[in-house]
Amino acid sequence: MSVETRPLPPSTEPPADPDLAARPLPTSGPARDRRRLGPGAVLRWLLLLVATIAFTYPLIWLVSASLKPKSQVFDNRLVPETFQWSNFVQVWDAGPVLRWLFNSGVVSLMAAVAVTFSSAFVAFGFAYFRFRLRGPLFGLVLATMMLPGAVTMIPVYLIWHQLGLIDTQVPLWANNLFGSAFYIFLMRQFFLGIPRELFEAARIDGCSHLGLFRRIALPLCRPALIIVFIFELQASWSDLLKPLIYLQTEEYFTMPRGLKQIVDGFALSGEYHWEIAMAATLVATLPMIVVFAFCQRYFLEGLATTARQG
Amino acid sequence: MRSAFMVIAASATLLAGCAGVGGASSDSGGGNAGTSGGAPSGTLKIMGFGGEDEVAQARVNAFKQAYPGVQVNNAKGDFDAQQFLTALASGNPPDLVYMDRNLIGTYAKKGAIVPLEDCISSQKIDTSQYREAAMRSVTLGNKVYGIPEFYVVTTNLIDAKSLKAAGLSPSDIQTKDWQALKATTDKLVKKNGNKLERIGFDPKLPEYFPLWATANGATIIKDDGAPNLNDPKAVQALDFAISLVNDQGGWTSFKSFRDSFDIFGEKNPLSAGSVVAFPMENWYVNVLRDFIPKGLQLDSTPFTDHDGKPVSMVGGSAWAIPKGSKNATAACAWAKTMTDKATWMKAADARIAKVKKDNSFFTGLFTANKPADEEIKAKYLTGVPDAGFKRAIDNLYATLDTATALNPSPAGAEIDAAWRSAVTRALGGQPVQQALDQAQKEAEAAFTKANGNG
Amino acid sequence: MADRVRPGRLQRREARAAYIFIAPWIIGFLVFTAGPMVASLWLSFTDYSLVEPGHPVGMANYQQLLDDPRVGKSLANTFTYAAMFVPLGTVVALGLAMLLHRVGRAAGFFRTVFYLPVMTPAVAAGAMFLLLLNGQRGLLNQVLGWFGVTGPNWTTDPAWLKPSLAIVSLWTVGGSIIIYLAALNNVPRQLYEAALLDGAGPIRRFWSITLPMISGALFFTIITHTIAAMQMFDQAYTMFYGPQQKATASDESLVYMVYLFQNAFEFFKMGFASAMAWVLFLIILVITVVQVRLGNRFVYYEGDSPR
Repeated sequence: MSVETRPLPPSTEPPADPDLAARPLPTSGPARDRRRLGPGAVLRWLLLLVATIAFTYPLIWLVSASLKPKSQVFDNRLVPETFQWSNFVQVWDAGPVLRWLFNSGVVSLMAAVAVTFSSAFVAFGFAYFRFRLRGPLFGLVLATMMLPGAVTMIPVYLIWHQLGLIDTQVPLWANNLFGSAFYIFLMRQFFLGIPRELFEAARIDGCSHLGLFRRIALPLCRPALIIVFIFELQASWSDLLKPLIYLQTEEYFTMPRGLKQIVDGFALSGEYHWEIAMAATLVATLPMIVVFAFCQRYFLEGLATTARQG
Repeated sequence: MRSAFMVIAASATLLAGCAGVGGASSDSGGGNAGTSGGAPSGTLKIMGFGGEDEVAQARVNAFKQAYPGVQVNNAKGDFDAQQFLTALASGNPPDLVYMDRNLIGTYAKKGAIVPLEDCISSQKIDTSQYREAAMRSVTLGNKVYGIPEFYVVTTNLIDAKSLKAAGLSPSDIQTKDWQALKATTDKLVKKNGNKLERIGFDPKLPEYFPLWATANGATIIKDDGAPNLNDPKAVQALDFAISLVNDQGGWTSFKSFRDSFDIFGEKNPLSAGSVVAFPMENWYVNVLRDFIPKGLQLDSTPFTDHDGKPVSMVGGSAWAIPKGSKNATAACAWAKTMTDKATWMKAADARIAKVKKDNSFFTGLFTANKPADEEIKAKYLTGVPDAGFKRAIDNLYATLDTATALNPSPAGAEIDAAWRSAVTRALGGQPVQQALDQAQKEAEAAFTKANGNG
Repeated sequence: MADRVRPGRLQRREARAAYIFIAPWIIGFLVFTAGPMVASLWLSFTDYSLVEPGHPVGMANYQQLLDDPRVGKSLANTFTYAAMFVPLGTVVALGLAMLLHRVGRAAGFFRTVFYLPVMTPAVAAGAMFLLLLNGQRGLLNQVLGWFGVTGPNWTTDPAWLKPSLAIVSLWTVGGSIIIYLAALNNVPRQLYEAALLDGAGPIRRFWSITLPMISGALFFTIITHTIAAMQMFDQAYTMFYGPQQKATASDESLVYMVYLFQNAFEFFKMGFASAMAWVLFLIILVITVVQVRLGNRFVYYEGDSPR
């Protein structure tokens, strides 16, 4: 495999200006076509409407189910017949939910910050420098994505056990201090799109390698950093497996683990309170949606810039 | 630089290698859980117990009151094989694990859980108080590996309203005479072209294949754990049960229809007239109780064999001590306390209190502890207001003594997978004999392998 | 730009700096990844059961991979699923992106909408889709019924299980939609204007301008989707192999990772599962290499392409 892959080429506009990068170029956009495609526009909006319904229906169903009483949870009505807000109160009382949300926030934040900077750091090494083992090493990076985690899970657990860190939150994020293959790949593509002249000019001015990284590469690729951050924030927030195998003490649980406790306790045994399970699932999901909604502007524009360079 | 690499690489591989490569034996607590008598103390780590209802809480509190010196650390949540086995494989198992009884055979054979002989003698557990079928599920090779808790039995539940409307009576829902049952089912099923509108009698395949086989006189797992899946009586039973499904729309439509039920809600299958009758587990009676005010008319007949004797398969859970448990004494004390009569009575008290608060009635508590069952029944099972519910509860209690469980087997998990797969294939059209023959072959191979590895 | 790397003091200094930057990953790799990878490879030659230490059994596990019909079946299922999902997902995502492309400012709202499913927990999504795809009363078949189409029993008919999984996976292509949308936004207007002047119709414009200009993005997403599809586990497990539904699972929905999981944690055959994992690794590796080679031939890069 040729891992000396071509860098994502710079776009037609220099990406050096982040503000410009934030606004997509006016290309074959609506202004041009509106007058030509009247009836087509109707069809287009219809299709988008259908797609919107298809994509949001399950979430709406979840919100609706979380507000229903036990006997109506699966009754196929989108709007609840009876609104039972007390479901959320019961979720709150079912365990240290606030603590769990806090834990999730802390762990996800640490995981995301760690992986963003470490991956960027490592990616710069693979992007800027030329050295003999660059190709094979980067191939190794990619190869680590191809082995299913299920079979390396136990040896990894053993390592943490030897380090005495079972039943702490450390295993949930500490791996990210060393970068992660997927994000390294992503950031590397981004860095490769920076014109080499910028680096060369700085070198001539006496800039150190670290300076190149901090003062040129990082600022120019800020949107990518935000992407990596948000991706990992989401992945870490919703991860159940790591807390399931590493955490034993209830106070350290993250929200997905707490959710399992609630669902297993209330919905799968004894009383079958599915409405509480649904409400708890919503509580576990909502914070991430809110965070995304706020960061959307940077996040999605950042993704736009990534793709522009490929 | 390169030599530094080599050193780091070598040491890291060594570290992970020694740690990881199958080295679970470092902490082996020996063959028996060494309960050295003495008073329980220290920390007790429990895994696999997720129960939050009043029955669970009452018993947990009973233990805490009896043994205040033990610090209980319960990672709440239902049993998860990945969670448990990861901890076990790394030499960091919980002290006590709660799992379904039908897993005990496999886990025992693999050595994941240890025999409880020491525990039973040092904590003086009287195993004769537990029901025989429950004890059989936790015993492998004459050694006991689990302390049983709960006894899930089944009986037929009937939508009396629809039955009456079709001109039939509860006595028509019987499993003594299978041909008559078939005729009844045909009268009750309602179809609309490709769509099923009502199931007459749901044989609950594939889950209840053992029930049908046992009712027909077959023993699909022999006493030593060897599979016997293609016993002619089992084949006959499966054939009949599948014919019921085929008469009612065929498997894919039947299952889709069944999957669409709102089991826990107002439009549950019996209230909504989607199913007229089916064998079902005792906990469902609890669920249905809420819908009497909405017009549910329940009735019940026992699921019997051809001689009219009630037959039920038994489910339930058990407490087991993992290999490498660090506090077997406390674990054993916990298992004993959670399942003894006094504690069950406290749990029943809590249930009655809740039932009174909800303005409802008691539907029975099936504990796997025979004296406890009897005392609870005598003390609390009075005045069930609804005649149909009373019949259901009585039927459930009537099966307690005759209920049976599949024999545990060292290849339990594989045998289970084999017959489930076979039943699904047969439902999909493969000839029943062929499906079960294939399952028997797979199961035998697994059994031989499991037994051969001592 | 593509200097041959010449050994020399400058190059050595540069290499050393490079290794300093890469050091975190190398350390992490050696401590947390290499060891476990080597361990799992070693385990694949043993009969490790998670409870007892493994005894070496030579090639027995790999031999069993060939003998066990379920391995082949699950691999075939996974290939079928990937073959369904990757093209379909690409087409759907690209189609939706092209719709959004014409919409202008409201695209922001729709991008959020299409990305929301990625944030919904897989377990909840699985449960909901079982209801939505139910053959008798699910919403999908109801809607199909409005158009006079009798939908199949999506979740119970063995022939339709993999398409059901593909539908569930399609739901989470939001990320790709956003990538394609940005790539489409990036195509210079002049190209389309020139084509229009030359009298090119919409299809011609698509094939000759749009597709080549976004081929970089297509390349990236197709590769990542393929790798993900070969390792698909969550959807199949939550829909068909969770504790509640396990009893009725058909062999048609058994994907490779689910069978691997069952062998590891239900049948206590971790050694065998490790062998399965390494075989999958090799297969994914081969597929990716092929895709990259093809990509290098067909993908158009606007800027120069240094090696």
